[in-house]
Amino acid sequence: MWVGLALALALTIAGSAFAASHASSKSTTVTISIGAEPPSLDPGLATDTTSATIIANINDPIIRLSQTPALTPLHTGLAQNWKVKGSTVTLYLRHNDHWTNGKPVTAQDVVGSWLRTISPELAADYAYQFYGIVGAQAYNSCDPSKADCNALRAKVGISAPNKWTVVIHLVSPQPWFIQQLSHTSFIPTYLPAIAKYGNKWTEAANIVTDGPFKLASWKHNASLTLVKNPKWRNASSIHVNRINIPIIVDAGTALNAYKAGKLQIDTSGFNPTDIPSLKKLPDWHVFPNLGTYYYGFNVKTITDVNERKALAAAIDRHAIVKYIGQLGQIPAQTFTPQGIANWQLINKSKWLPINGDDTASGLAIAKSYMAKAKNPVMNINLYVNNSAGHVQIAQAIQANWQKLGVSVNIKVLEWKQYLQFLGPPPDSSVGAYRLGWLADYPEDYDFLSLWTCKSGNNNTNWCNPQYDSLINQAVHTPNTEARVSLYQKAEALLTGKNGDMPIAPIYFYVGAYLEKTNVKGFYANPLGTDFFDGISVS
Amino acid sequence: MAKFVIRRVFWTIPVILLVILMTFGMMKAIKGNPFRNTERNIPAAIQHNLNREFHLDKPWYIQYAYYVKGVFTWNLGPSMLQRNQTVNDIVSETFPVSAELGGLAMLFAVIIGIPLGIIAALRQNSAFDYGAMAFSNIGFAVPSFLTSTLFLYFFALKWGNFTGFPTFGWSGFHSKVLPAIALGLAPMTYFARLVRGTMLETLQQDYIRTAKAKGLRWRRVVGLHVLRNSLIPAVTAAAPLLGYLVTGSFVIERIFAIPGIGQYYVTSVSSRDYSVTMGITVLLSILIIVANLLVDILYGFLDPRTRDLRT
Amino acid sequence: MSSTEERQTDFEVALVHAAEASHLHDAGAALRRSSLWRDALYRFTSNRAAIIAAVAFLMMVGFVVLGPIVDRADPYAVNFGIAYQSPSWSHPFGTDEFGRDLFVRTALGGRLSIEIGLAATVAIMLIGILYGSISGFLGGWVDNALMRFLDTLYGLPYLPFAILTLAIFGVVNFWTMVVALTVASWFTTARVMRGQIISLKENDYVRAARAVGARWQRILFRHLLPNTLGVIIVFVFLELPGVVLGEAFLSFIGLGINPPKASWGSLAEDGYTAYNTHPYIIIIPSICIAWLILSAFFVADGLRDALDPRTRETKEG
Repeated sequence: MWVGLALALALTIAGSAFAASHASSKSTTVTISIGAEPPSLDPGLATDTTSATIIANINDPIIRLSQTPALTPLHTGLAQNWKVKGSTVTLYLRHNDHWTNGKPVTAQDVVGSWLRTISPELAADYAYQFYGIVGAQAYNSCDPSKADCNALRAKVGISAPNKWTVVIHLVSPQPWFIQQLSHTSFIPTYLPAIAKYGNKWTEAANIVTDGPFKLASWKHNASLTLVKNPKWRNASSIHVNRINIPIIVDAGTALNAYKAGKLQIDTSGFNPTDIPSLKKLPDWHVFPNLGTYYYGFNVKTITDVNERKALAAAIDRHAIVKYIGQLGQIPAQTFTPQGIANWQLINKSKWLPINGDDTASGLAIAKSYMAKAKNPVMNINLYVNNSAGHVQIAQAIQANWQKLGVSVNIKVLEWKQYLQFLGPPPDSSVGAYRLGWLADYPEDYDFLSLWTCKSGNNNTNWCNPQYDSLINQAVHTPNTEARVSLYQKAEALLTGKNGDMPIAPIYFYVGAYLEKTNVKGFYANPLGTDFFDGISVS
Repeated sequence: MAKFVIRRVFWTIPVILLVILMTFGMMKAIKGNPFRNTERNIPAAIQHNLNREFHLDKPWYIQYAYYVKGVFTWNLGPSMLQRNQTVNDIVSETFPVSAELGGLAMLFAVIIGIPLGIIAALRQNSAFDYGAMAFSNIGFAVPSFLTSTLFLYFFALKWGNFTGFPTFGWSGFHSKVLPAIALGLAPMTYFARLVRGTMLETLQQDYIRTAKAKGLRWRRVVGLHVLRNSLIPAVTAAAPLLGYLVTGSFVIERIFAIPGIGQYYVTSVSSRDYSVTMGITVLLSILIIVANLLVDILYGFLDPRTRDLRT
Repeated sequence: MSSTEERQTDFEVALVHAAEASHLHDAGAALRRSSLWRDALYRFTSNRAAIIAAVAFLMMVGFVVLGPIVDRADPYAVNFGIAYQSPSWSHPFGTDEFGRDLFVRTALGGRLSIEIGLAATVAIMLIGILYGSISGFLGGWVDNALMRFLDTLYGLPYLPFAILTLAIFGVVNFWTMVVALTVASWFTTARVMRGQIISLKENDYVRAARAVGARWQRILFRHLLPNTLGVIIVFVFLELPGVVLGEAFLSFIGLGINPPKASWGSLAEDGYTAYNTHPYIIIIPSICIAWLILSAFFVADGLRDALDPRTRETKEG
């Protein structure tokens, strides 16, 4: 009888274990639309957010940021710990991260990948992210056909003293470097695969990665498939087995597919006409996207600062955001966006009217500045690139500026032509132009450094040595409070009441996505990368 | 005959060279930096690295020489936008899709259009004739972007559960039906009207009337004489129709989210991916040239008069 | 002189005598000319399909010309309050995303589309005529070389080259669109023109006129041009729809006229993103395009029948 009981017990335990394992291996598949075909899955070569999303999910980023507005660096990435002392950053990698072929991810992998990305032969677009490291810019600027670049390579300030430690020497104590490391261009690659397969190493059959998901298949222009990586260090926290990603370029087509139930998550953007009806659904989610949409003035054409202030004040930001943007963008009074560390303090000098429903007061302020302007330019060429939204906003602002008596010629150029036209320096016919800036890392330096005299992204011809010195000081100020006060002064010089107003900020970006009500855990971070590892289906 | 064929084939080579030259010239004339995709400006050092990688720092005649060599060895170079793909990769992935779409559209046009034209001609001025011609006229005049949109909206979206047509993609038979019909509608109407017209003309001919008067079986007369002569013009229509299929596919591929060469082309021009743009343009040109060549040769076979005229 | 030429000279002489007898100067030419055109007009008007098409075409022209005059709405006024209204009494075609009246915008869009179409057609015609005439008139090795070059150009796919042309200009306005549409579309015209010139050169009565000693102006204006004029007019009506459709296609893939101006194609593209909820925005300009294409095509058909009596008989069956 005891044998019988023991047998029954054993069978029950076995049975429930069997049932449990089966229950947890119930296959969950989610289909997500992320937009167009990712141009490259090589961390060294990817430049756009679609590629960055895939890369961040099949690899283990060095630093992961928290899902709070503060975007604090967490210790859950490849780097388990770090030490910052002056201009030297030391990263301590975790020991339990492995490539999909079983080999461990080591500091040598990290150093080797970074040197590859900085190398002039790779011609990586994002090599500039590394310019804060000693010797990186010099190595990247070397011409291998004319000189021996290996000497410069040896002088780059990154080294791996042992298997798990990476030491980085920075040009100056950049306090935000740790957060910057969350960018996908810092993700290490498995160099032997690259050596073996060359350019084709990112194909599904060849690629070697170390993240929560693996690239199971990639049919170019048609679809990608990710599957859960069972060997990942935290595999038990992943509740989705398979992610199908069909490549759908057209936003309307993607929406149709979502409505037909073929997609569970749609992040590929939306046509403005569909937004009003989508906003009412519980599926609709909006998230902040660190970035500013702004109009720049050519200060050599619109020379009077009072006219610039008048033009900036006359823009009806609220109407633009409500009727054209429609996603719940935030009207912007400063260049530093909401969500940047310490943004409220930095933006203390904000004064530009948002022009809520009380358009009269904004217009009155604008007119008072216009009156102070001596010899204002009454006919302005406004350049935009040919995308429906930008043209609509241009027409709305044209109507706003009309009220000041300024007539606007809207000139639409195709994107690449447009970029070339803006230089810098911009073509002399440019009076105002439209651009946006999305953050690479969540520190205000990334935004304010745009307006220094030599910046390749300053298309306004504005050059203020005082501003430059403030920005320069900020790079060398590790103390957060002191740095924030420098940013505050800089922002005041830019968009403050006594500032130069070379630009007129319009709104801060937001993003939106649709997620079926039975799906949870999709996370779109403000820097534009989407994370799938938290997804679960009920 | 052989001399005729050899001559025509020989002439295609300078034609292809000229097409490459014109495409190259046009690409060089287009302003814009192929590497700058976002608002971020590219630092000078990185721009130099990129130019070096893609030979853009060499003088134009060297770039042209690289390119011609590439075309004749069928190595069209790396894509400037998709850094891990070569143009050959891209073309070999997207071209078969577009070719299949075009082929299915042509099949639809021929299978529906030619019988429609034949029957309409045989039953001239009947209700069928008027109906068929009205349908043809509408199919020919309404722009394909409207018909595609309507097809998508009704057959794939509203009644999708019933018909089984998906709203996007190109896998499985069901996803290919709507795009093929949308693209093939205009050629179908063209064939229908053409065949009807030539049949009517042929039916007027004296020798047909004689055959009828002589008492030969009508079916045999139609099948043997009328049809053969009427279908010859349809053959010559094949070459310009190829041009239509190429251009029509640009729009259809966008609407139905088909990963073909057409929608790729527009993206590559706007992103200034020189290698891909040139690769696709040269490929399409070669295709059209070869199609014209084949049609010429075929026509030479079918209609002996043209052979002598064309020397 | 051959017997044919003999007979023709006799006929000419007889005609001149008759004209002189009735005190009409140059009656020979006048008589011949009026009989050609009046005959054509008669044949055209008795062709029912052609008349209906002509009326439809004129209706469309009337709409685009008079529409914005009759309906006084401002096509550029931004008023978000009345955006996306369905067709109603006050807005017969509804409103778009900016609240702009679509009736006026469609009419203005039609003006722009047709203007572009006509300009491109004229450009195609001029280039084609020039090229074909030079080749046809001069003959010999010049003709050979020009035709070989033309054969080459046939290998250029039209849409990709239109796209490349627009990319070179960087901006899409009236003139750049006309150039882009013309660039790869004039080849057939050149070939046809050359064929016409050659066949007319060889034509018996032209030979006769030359043999009689008529000056080249007389040959050109009295013989060649009246015949080719018919071909040219038919050609305009045949080519116009193709060009308008081409512009619509280019607009639809995003290379349309820059806003706030609109053409039918760019209106359709605007409407495409909203077809789920507001289908009328894409349907209306597309129907206008179809209307234009059909009416122009049947007018061309009718004109061709009217001007060339031979084809007419076979069509009647």
